[in-house]
Amino acid sequence: MFDVLMFLFSYSFMLRALAVGALISLCCALLGVSLVLKRFSMIGDGLSHVGFGALAIAAAANLAPLYFSIPIVVLAAFLLLSMNARSKLKGDAAIALISTGALAVGIMVTSMTTGMNVDVYNYMFGSILTMSDADVVLSVLLSVTVIVLFVVFYDEIFAVTFDETFAKATGTRVTLYQFLIAALTAVTIVVGMRMMGTLLISSLIIFPTVTSMRLCKSFRRVVLSSVGVSLGCFLIGLAVSVRLEAPTGAAIVCVNIAALGVFALLGTLRDLRPSSKLYGARRALTALVCVLALVLGLLPFFGPLGKGPADKNITVIATGFAPFDFARQVAGEDADVIMLLSPGEESHTFEPRPTQRAQIETSDVFIYGGGESDAWVEDLLSSVQAAGVRTVRMMDAADPLKEELLPGMQAEEEEDDAYDEHVWTSAANAILITQAICDALCDADAAHAEGYRARTAAYLKELEALDADLMALGKAAQGTTFVVGDRFPLLYFAKRYGVQFAAAFPGCSAQNEANPNTIAALTKMLQSQGSGVVFKMDLNAAPAAQSIARDTGARVETLYSAHTISKADFDAGVTYVDLMRRNESALRGAIRNMEPAA
Amino acid sequence: MALIECKNVSLGYENRIVCSGLNFRVERGDFLSVVGENGSGKSTLMKAILGLKETADGHLHFGDGLTARQIGYLPQQTTLQRDFPASVQEVVLSGCLAAKGRHLFFQKAQRDRAAAAMARLDLLGLKHRCYRELSGGQQQRVLLARALCATETLLLLDEPVAGLDPLVTADFYRLVQTLNREDGVTVIMVSHDLFDALALSTHILHMQGGSAFFGTRDDYLASDFYRRLAGGDRHV
Repeated sequence: MFDVLMFLFSYSFMLRALAVGALISLCCALLGVSLVLKRFSMIGDGLSHVGFGALAIAAAANLAPLYFSIPIVVLAAFLLLSMNARSKLKGDAAIALISTGALAVGIMVTSMTTGMNVDVYNYMFGSILTMSDADVVLSVLLSVTVIVLFVVFYDEIFAVTFDETFAKATGTRVTLYQFLIAALTAVTIVVGMRMMGTLLISSLIIFPTVTSMRLCKSFRRVVLSSVGVSLGCFLIGLAVSVRLEAPTGAAIVCVNIAALGVFALLGTLRDLRPSSKLYGARRALTALVCVLALVLGLLPFFGPLGKGPADKNITVIATGFAPFDFARQVAGEDADVIMLLSPGEESHTFEPRPTQRAQIETSDVFIYGGGESDAWVEDLLSSVQAAGVRTVRMMDAADPLKEELLPGMQAEEEEDDAYDEHVWTSAANAILITQAICDALCDADAAHAEGYRARTAAYLKELEALDADLMALGKAAQGTTFVVGDRFPLLYFAKRYGVQFAAAFPGCSAQNEANPNTIAALTKMLQSQGSGVVFKMDLNAAPAAQSIARDTGARVETLYSAHTISKADFDAGVTYVDLMRRNESALRGAIRNMEPAA
Repeated sequence: MALIECKNVSLGYENRIVCSGLNFRVERGDFLSVVGENGSGKSTLMKAILGLKETADGHLHFGDGLTARQIGYLPQQTTLQRDFPASVQEVVLSGCLAAKGRHLFFQKAQRDRAAAAMARLDLLGLKHRCYRELSGGQQQRVLLARALCATETLLLLDEPVAGLDPLVTADFYRLVQTLNREDGVTVIMVSHDLFDALALSTHILHMQGGSAFFGTRDDYLASDFYRRLAGGDRHV
């Protein structure tokens, strides 16, 4: 019945999100009133983009994100205001310049350093899970400062907002208060954008005020109503996001849109002319709208949340498809295996949703890679292990290899000792990992150990056969360098079976845009080799591969990393071994193409 | 001693002098109208009196216990205010901001003052109404009440009837005249309309083409400045 409420209040990461989110909503609502009424709405938007740029630089230079970006954004706020005051550049143009400029700098810095990794993705779209305890403390302090200053200077803020000239003429230090509002806005945005995302934080500033203005007739009421609307929409949005497993920021904004609709409707009903046909029914209609809004608003809080623990089976959670499939083979009917990535979901920007995170804490075995795309695991590993969950790190089970620059690959200025995380792409590693998973399952569920061991033994036979066939493929492919116009997650495969590849990017690169030099080199390589096949990875659009194919007339074929899997394949019950067999036949096809030429 | 004495003042903006050698004085109880074409420096003078702008040359003296901060200013309405959600009471009370001093919130003295200003301008019935829903004339009265909260001495009205219809304009002028004649409030009004100004004022400041005329209403009627204008008017 109260699953959602229970969920919101029973996990420490949700409590942190609730605390910070509520305070941020409050601050945004307070400052928003002044900004919207002074026609400064877009300043919030501009500042959030500056915040993104600053966070990108902080991430690149390894600086504490909040401490670095707050001063930068405050400075930008002052700059925007004084540009507005001098009015050489019109206000909206100045904001657009700073906003897009900062975004571009942020993207440049990111692409030259870390690549579009999870952190950057989070800054763009927000994540409520990124809050560390230190972040929470800082956020609370900042928010309380904003609230106290707003209350203390309430009358001054009203006077300055309503009529700058009059306030100035009666001796109010208008500029001071404007800079105060700007500084507070800057701080609120930086703290809030981690949760809401760069692209959405400014809506938290604008929506509640605009919504309240539909109904309220005094400044004080607009302020109070904005605070109420903002907090209400935050809570409902959070519940909606938990229920629908949707991103929190987007859910909150959608609830805000609905609230605006309700308020606008109520305002229209209130201002109906007596001549209108609906005039007689306006009280009834108003009551109807209120009740409907209330019911809809409360709906996400009620009803059960997902499937309860229906059976006594242990739960095994795997981050990606390959470990999921290994665990599924071992578990049979004796354990419930869950894959965190939805089929078709991009693995390198994945972060668990709140319900999933809670699911990990209550599971029995948790299997993860240990590489870059699982960076979020490090944050919750201690709490997961404290909860008694057995963990399997695949990179521990197999020998990890460092990422290598293959021929043609464009370098990334990254710490060059990054280990490649796609250990399972060699069947030999798959055997080691499956063994480790079997051990963890037996440990967690001794009652079914016999079944686990028997299924493992059978599965290992299958993997050994695959390993042998791929070895044979490696022999057949001697002397050929296959061209991959995409990122290359098959390093372990290549090393184990002695297959040569040339590729555009390393395995974990989130880049999709190859630079022209890279494409030219790969194109030349393909032309001289004559297989007529350029490869791309499963589920990627791979514009580089498409471009090479266009220039050489080659066919584009797909290779599978088994990191994730398409929805159709997942539903059809395709396995890891099936995907590796597809790789085998695609490569054999390319070899066959070259034979007539030879 | 005069409330305001202006000696040999030059006004300008962006390095351009628009008016020089400006001399006039405002005594307690005067009604001074400032007339002249756009760009003749009326607004700049207004800003200088309010202390929002430095004079390019010369001095503006305040006397008789008046400071630039005690002027009840009625600015021109901005587009921003037209849909501003604020109650009449909130707007009027904001005129008392300077009197609030170091207190966190408005004190009883300031609330009483606002109530008195509203009573004087017959606004008590509209107290809780929303500013943006009032008629143009009512809005002007609200802003006048706010200006009265800031001062008992001197009102500075910047084009106060712009955009009002003739009936409302007449009402508004009557109100200002009452304040001037019965309550002894000194008024400086910037106006486009010379004939309204003549009907209300004790003194006229006519700014034109870098020079200015200052004198009583009667002196002005006899001056070249007026004659040139009136001569022009006859053709209309």
